Amino acid sequence: MKLDQIARGLLLKEFVSGFGLAMKYLFKPKATIDYPFEMGHRGPRFRGEHALRRYPNGEERCIACKLCEAICPAQAITIEAGPRRNDGTRRTTRYDIDMVKCIYCGMCQEACPVDAIVEGPNFEFSVETREELLYDKQKLLANGDRWEREIARNIAADAPYR
Amino acid sequence: MTKIVVDGTEVDVPPDYTLLQACEIAGAEIPRFCFHERLSIAGNCRMCLVELKGAPKPVASCAWAVRDCRPGPNGEPPAVSTKSALTKKAREGVMEFLLINHPLDCPICDQGGHCDLQDQAMAYGVDSTRYGENKRAVEEKYIGPLVRTAMNRCIHCTRCVRFLAEVAGVPDLGAIGRGEDMEITSYLEQAMASELQGNVADLCPVGALVHKPQSYNVRPWELNKTESVDVMDAVGSAIRVDTRGREVMQVEPRINEAINEEWISDKTRHVVDGLRLQRLDRPYLRENGRLRPASWAEAFSAIAAKLKAADPKRVGAIVGDLAGVEETYALKRLMTAIGSPNLDCRQDGAAIDPAWGRAAYTFNPTIAGIEQADAILIVGANPRTEASLLNVRIRKRWRQAPLAVGLIGEATDLTYPHTYLGAGPETLAEVAGGKHSFAEALSKAERPLVIVGQGALARPDGAAILAAAAALARDIGAVSEGWNGFGVLHTAAARVGALDLGFVPGEGGLDFAAMTQAGALDVLYNLGADEVEIGAGAFVIYQGTHGDKGAHRADVILPGAAYTEKSATYVNTEGRVQLANRAAFPPGDAREDWAILRALSDVVAKRLPFDSLTALRKALYADHPHFAGIEQVAGQDVAAAVAALAGLGGQPGSEPFRSPVLDYYLTNPIARASRVLAECSGLARERVLQAAE
Amino acid sequence: MSVLDILLTVGLIALKSVLLLVALLVFIAYALLADRKIWAAVQLRRGPNVVGPFGLFQSFADLLKFVLKEPVIPAGANKTLFLLAPVIFATLALSSWAVIPLSDGWAIADINVGITYIFAISSLGVYGVIIGGWASNSKYAFLGALRSAAQMVSYEVSLGFVIITVLMCAGSLNLSQIVRAQDTAIGILGWYWLWLFPMFVVFFVSALAETNRPPFDLPEAESELVAGHMVEYSSTPYLLFMLGEYVAIMGMCALGTVLFLGGWLSPIPFAPFTWVPGLIWFVLKASFLFFMIAMVKAMVPRYRYDQLMRLGWKVFLPLSLVMVFVVALVLKLTGLAPVS
Repeated sequence: MKLDQIARGLLLKEFVSGFGLAMKYLFKPKATIDYPFEMGHRGPRFRGEHALRRYPNGEERCIACKLCEAICPAQAITIEAGPRRNDGTRRTTRYDIDMVKCIYCGMCQEACPVDAIVEGPNFEFSVETREELLYDKQKLLANGDRWEREIARNIAADAPYR
Repeated sequence: MTKIVVDGTEVDVPPDYTLLQACEIAGAEIPRFCFHERLSIAGNCRMCLVELKGAPKPVASCAWAVRDCRPGPNGEPPAVSTKSALTKKAREGVMEFLLINHPLDCPICDQGGHCDLQDQAMAYGVDSTRYGENKRAVEEKYIGPLVRTAMNRCIHCTRCVRFLAEVAGVPDLGAIGRGEDMEITSYLEQAMASELQGNVADLCPVGALVHKPQSYNVRPWELNKTESVDVMDAVGSAIRVDTRGREVMQVEPRINEAINEEWISDKTRHVVDGLRLQRLDRPYLRENGRLRPASWAEAFSAIAAKLKAADPKRVGAIVGDLAGVEETYALKRLMTAIGSPNLDCRQDGAAIDPAWGRAAYTFNPTIAGIEQADAILIVGANPRTEASLLNVRIRKRWRQAPLAVGLIGEATDLTYPHTYLGAGPETLAEVAGGKHSFAEALSKAERPLVIVGQGALARPDGAAILAAAAALARDIGAVSEGWNGFGVLHTAAARVGALDLGFVPGEGGLDFAAMTQAGALDVLYNLGADEVEIGAGAFVIYQGTHGDKGAHRADVILPGAAYTEKSATYVNTEGRVQLANRAAFPPGDAREDWAILRALSDVVAKRLPFDSLTALRKALYADHPHFAGIEQVAGQDVAAAVAALAGLGGQPGSEPFRSPVLDYYLTNPIARASRVLAECSGLARERVLQAAE
Repeated sequence: MSVLDILLTVGLIALKSVLLLVALLVFIAYALLADRKIWAAVQLRRGPNVVGPFGLFQSFADLLKFVLKEPVIPAGANKTLFLLAPVIFATLALSSWAVIPLSDGWAIADINVGITYIFAISSLGVYGVIIGGWASNSKYAFLGALRSAAQMVSYEVSLGFVIITVLMCAGSLNLSQIVRAQDTAIGILGWYWLWLFPMFVVFFVSALAETNRPPFDLPEAESELVAGHMVEYSSTPYLLFMLGEYVAIMGMCALGTVLFLGGWLSPIPFAPFTWVPGLIWFVLKASFLFFMIAMVKAMVPRYRYDQLMRLGWKVFLPLSLVMVFVVALVLKLTGLAPVS
């Protein structure tokens, strides 16, 4: 063993330099954000929690074409359709998304001809029981109402690229 | 035979073939909208354009016969090109024209997913439009409760018009206006008066005509398809039962050239909602005059107690119109084990006895064989309501070349011209005696056909009438070498199978009418007979599917499986053995019928020797080998049977024949539970009343 | 001595113990948070930030979580031993604090064999680990326990020799005496960390190994044994193990402070620094040592098991043996040996 090696070992040269490096990093600006108190950037194509949208006059957009159900690779969407009672137009009588099955691929919103089902910007929808993740039409429409402003903005921002 | 070159391959086809047929034989696929194999040629969609060498422009292959093609300058065969650039361009042009006015509403269109226009637009469509103007808007038409219109989508192929005019024989639809203003309409905004109207929605290549009761319900890709047979009448149409999850969503026709070609009647198609409504989904037991839900064990022990106490001679079993061969066989074995001779399957009291030979109660010429007949005498039947698709065959035969059709019975519109001969047995006697003018037509015919309906048989003098009809058939030479011109037309899907099993009174046994008399029996096992009044006194066990008449009279109800919920054998009026397959499961606690009987046999200590459907069928085929011949009609000696029948003799009464089908739409418990068919029935009644005014 | 006196003495000791315990546990709660925060900061993360401002109450939230969760006892486990092990471990870790002088005269039991006591107690700690690992009836837990035992035994040997060098210089087994022996006119330069420098390093590294801290956290190596001897533990028993571990770490920091960093002494031996209470100095020094331990976790990769053994037996043991000899020789030759 060489003498300088021994000296280095005894004087903990590597440890000291490593310590110095660690100290440098200790005071560096953080790479992460202060998450629950500040949000990271989400692009207009962000695929978060699903929502069913309405037209500005309050009419639900979904026309029960079942294309989202057909395209869904995880088979997470279940739709039953029928004529609406008051005007006989084609509507869903049931629109369920099993958020546990969902893989958030965004195919449903790509398939939708009327921009009814969308994946909104929200990703903070953790719940305590599994059942709460079986979304029904009411929940999805409520999501749509809550996030409509952001969703509309995102769609508008993404429109030129489609 | 003529030679023709299609895409470079030479084929030899009959000269009367169209180019489209020739191309198909050569293996080239031709897109089409208006052309349909079973309808006349219209040539108005222009989608089938092909390039014909020597022709100045592309020709519509569906309307251009092979014999119309000119040979080449050196006598070479005509050449057709289905894949050339010109053909493609022509078809793309046609498609663009079609799409000018076709709305882009595929997402809300029920045809989406099985739409010819959608499919062909994938092949020949362009992704943009050059048409800046507004699209045409056409008012929706009301054409009945079964077919919904979305006339914006119509591409004027006129398949519906041709179907109703040619196949159904009810020219209720037509086209008015020209060019862009052309509209398909019933003009008077009336419901179509055909029992086959559902087929127009199947024929429609776009979503202009769709099935109204199934509106928006299903997409073709989410259905499980099970091939089965229909039991609404004794024709046994080939159907495809489409299910989603546990629910039967729709019934579609399946091609069976021997029976229904590719049509089915509206009752067959729209009975599906009846499969969901009024169902018996658990056993019931009558206590203090009221039915209460019970467990299987309770129900069985109640039955066992009654059966134990009863004298076997005072125990009886009747079979209704929808029972499969398997459960009838199981019931017969059970009754034999108990020692009861009281069995019957003829709830209308038809005078038919298997002892006269099988040919005495089947439709011997076969349905497809009708096309060979050259004179038809219908005795006591209304084939239009009793067997719609058999009627379609007669009409098809009439369209090929007009023939003499005589009708004895209720005067009615059979959709083709016929001679109304009279109302009752006297007329039959007249014709048989040669005193009637129609007798000449019959005796001149080479292959005359006598059809005897249940209206003539289900009456006290039925046997005598059957004998008279058989004698007539024998006398006019209806049964000869290669031609069986004598047939009995049934109305119940279960009947022929049950008769094949010999489910008729044994030695000293009571028949149907006697069994249902008050006080005739102690215990009566009713396997789905709902069109009969059962007198007081007997302890009635009803095994069936719907809360109908039979269930109301029952003391114990055992919930069974409907025809879509079990694998069962049915024998149609021709004697053709067919298998219905299970598409869904029986609701709730209901079970397959043979299994119920098997379980019951255990409780009454008369264990039936089969533990599975396979074992049951094995025993069945051993006892009655012809049931093993699925899709086949067992050959039989028709001449002998007709001779035997003719020899029965007897004196017919004078009562006019009445059709057993009073209301076409409500003939069985499933149909009576259906809301759609109830609506149709109401409309049909209205039509009759209007006509009466 | 009357009964009253005995009661009074016992009560006084109990009071002191409770005071120390509370202060120690609160301190450890924040030490734990600091540990996580430092580790996160070196990795450019933020660490716990949700519970309380800057995540200050994270440890208390964790405590609540552990206490409220369901303790799962494996079906094949020896229930009594399984539950006893964490109690033993935590109790032993806490009891070594009885002899630590936080300031001049501030020890619950200022016994004259203090260092031997600590040494004995910390050796016993391995029983908690082994019992826990064995009683879990799980191969991972058992492997973890065995590794832990081998590791503790190996490093206790060199740790013993390190302490012997200190003892030779201080001339006493009493921890307060050892601190007083370091009280010279040159302040920080008179403490043993400088005079026995290699031994200070050996002590520090051995302390890491003794408490299963990274880079010597093989017994609970996450990548292979999941959590070592604690793999089957959950809820409060797990909490006790974790608590014991951190108490032991803090104990090592305190011991290091006493042996090498002059205990409660001010680093600069004149006013105004001497006015600062000794406890403050002590806490600052122990905290510094803990900071070093936390930094080591953040910057040094985990040792392989054979490397760990090599370091213990082939480097530290000869080195400390030689140092014992050298120190004894120097003390003898220079006549600096303390007179007993």
